[in-house]
Amino acid sequence: MDATTAPHRIPAEMPQYGEANHIFELMQTMLEQLLIHQPEDPVSFMIKHLNRNNDNVPKIIILGPPASGKTTIAMWLCKHLNSNLLSMQNLIGRELQFMNPEMKRQYLRTKMIPSALLVRLIEDRLEEEDCIKRGWILDGIPETREQALTIQSQGIIPRHVVVLSALDTVLIERNLGKRVDPQTGEIYHTTFDWPPESDIQNRLVVPPGISEMETARKLLEYHRNIVRIIPSYPKILKVISADQPCVDVFYQALTYVQTHHRSNAPFTPRVLLCGPTGSGKSLQAALLAQKYSLVNVCCGQLLKEAVADKTQFGELIRPFFEKQMVVPDSLVVKVLTQRLDHQDSIQKGWVMHGFPRDQDQAHMLDTLGYEPNRVFFLNVPLDSIIERLTLRRTDPVTGERYHLLYKPPPTMEIQARLLQNPKDSEEQVKLKVDLFYRNSADLEQFYKQAITLNGDQDPYTVFEYVESGIINPLPKKVP
Amino acid sequence: MEAAESRETQAREYLRKHRIPELLTYLTSSLLFFRPEHPRDYLITILERLRIAKLTGIAFPFYMDNSNIVSMFEMMDPSNRGTISFVQYKEALQTLGLCTPDEVLKDTGRSISLDNFRDEVNKRTEEIYATF
Repeated sequence: MDATTAPHRIPAEMPQYGEANHIFELMQTMLEQLLIHQPEDPVSFMIKHLNRNNDNVPKIIILGPPASGKTTIAMWLCKHLNSNLLSMQNLIGRELQFMNPEMKRQYLRTKMIPSALLVRLIEDRLEEEDCIKRGWILDGIPETREQALTIQSQGIIPRHVVVLSALDTVLIERNLGKRVDPQTGEIYHTTFDWPPESDIQNRLVVPPGISEMETARKLLEYHRNIVRIIPSYPKILKVISADQPCVDVFYQALTYVQTHHRSNAPFTPRVLLCGPTGSGKSLQAALLAQKYSLVNVCCGQLLKEAVADKTQFGELIRPFFEKQMVVPDSLVVKVLTQRLDHQDSIQKGWVMHGFPRDQDQAHMLDTLGYEPNRVFFLNVPLDSIIERLTLRRTDPVTGERYHLLYKPPPTMEIQARLLQNPKDSEEQVKLKVDLFYRNSADLEQFYKQAITLNGDQDPYTVFEYVESGIINPLPKKVP
Repeated sequence: MEAAESRETQAREYLRKHRIPELLTYLTSSLLFFRPEHPRDYLITILERLRIAKLTGIAFPFYMDNSNIVSMFEMMDPSNRGTISFVQYKEALQTLGLCTPDEVLKDTGRSISLDNFRDEVNKRTEEIYATF
């Protein structure tokens, strides 16, 4: 159709449905798989792929120098995410009896097998049902760049790569205390991670190859190889310092592997900023509107504009303004829907503040179909709010707005004639803040995916937090 | 680098040969249009129908049927002259996903009538579905 004479009007439900069901990511993964395997019959392949429904299973690689705690972290992640652990040992352990004797001897001697065989073992293992259904975690593989490239060319791509790092001296010392439980294969440490039960304590053996010389040699080898492996996984890599308690490393790794990466999906932001009066909502909204060309929907401003323009709604609203009463919800909603139905707010997205103020209003907004896709709560302590608002002054002659602390007037003459808006007096501010906090608990419960920010910082810092909240995908809930 | 480039061209060739982009566009547009509750199951249903249609030779339910083509033509031709210009025709084919922006269409200098338009749309759609 002629997009020039009659612009396309896409109904708002389409982008909302697309976002809610992650259609873009669905199609993207399907296309990725098609390109990797290039089947002759794409339709049957796509049916099989959709039936598997495994877009979100964990696909993780954990790399790190010896004694950094890779295996421990990998095992804990496995248990927590209910996934499968693949390490050099358990891959080979299964194949040991089928290997020809010469290779077996070589393995038992040097603990290494040719890369091609390793990659084939990995491929076969990943084809099995449980890896397809529950994902996989590779512990310490790939070890060399050659392995990394071969794995990649076979189409095995991880979604998250965690690299543990620590100083060599720390690692050498740590390795001396390593003990292994021969029955479960779990790794313990004499100082950091001593098992509580005495029967496990009695079972522990000293694993071979942990003397200082051995560890130093392995570290040299590791450093040589890791530098070439890291560039293979540019955007999905995260380095975590292993020089902290195990539990901390584990929680950092867990949060990381549970985040989605930024996707290329088309996204119109529909942002809602909530917070007590004086928390900086209007300022943030103005910054957002300016930077991302969103439509700034300020509830109070809209109502004032309606009254000033003497529109049909304005006439209805004016008596409430004159009597200083709260405008009823139905009127407010009507004015808002009129603004949000404009083509530019549907296309460019909007940022709203000042509405809804309680759960009923939020319900009303949802039922009308204007659900926000990012909600922010700005937290500012009462003292800061009072400081920000009660020191506001206006110059009656020029109309300039000053703040006695943050933007003081330049001359004493101006300062002498400044006036304060009665709405900015301390009692009024306290009333308004109380009103907000009475309803905020309900609102927070209603918008479960909301992001809470500390509003008590300078505006550009808060703006950066808001931006990252909008751009990054919403955090996944821990099941 | 040779291997990488040839794999890329191989991949592009694969996409073109099996008309994967057209298929994905069709799937995404039907999803967004019908907005089913369970998108995966809906996609599986469409793909199954496509597969059966290919096996048994039954005509696949086209996305744009005849009445839609007529309405599209009338939207582009508001003054009811009976013809549309070449630029409009090209834009319409691109919107329907039936030709790429790079494809050079013959501009015969004549304006396109409803029958021409309809024939061309049907011809291209059949071409695409014949691949599946």
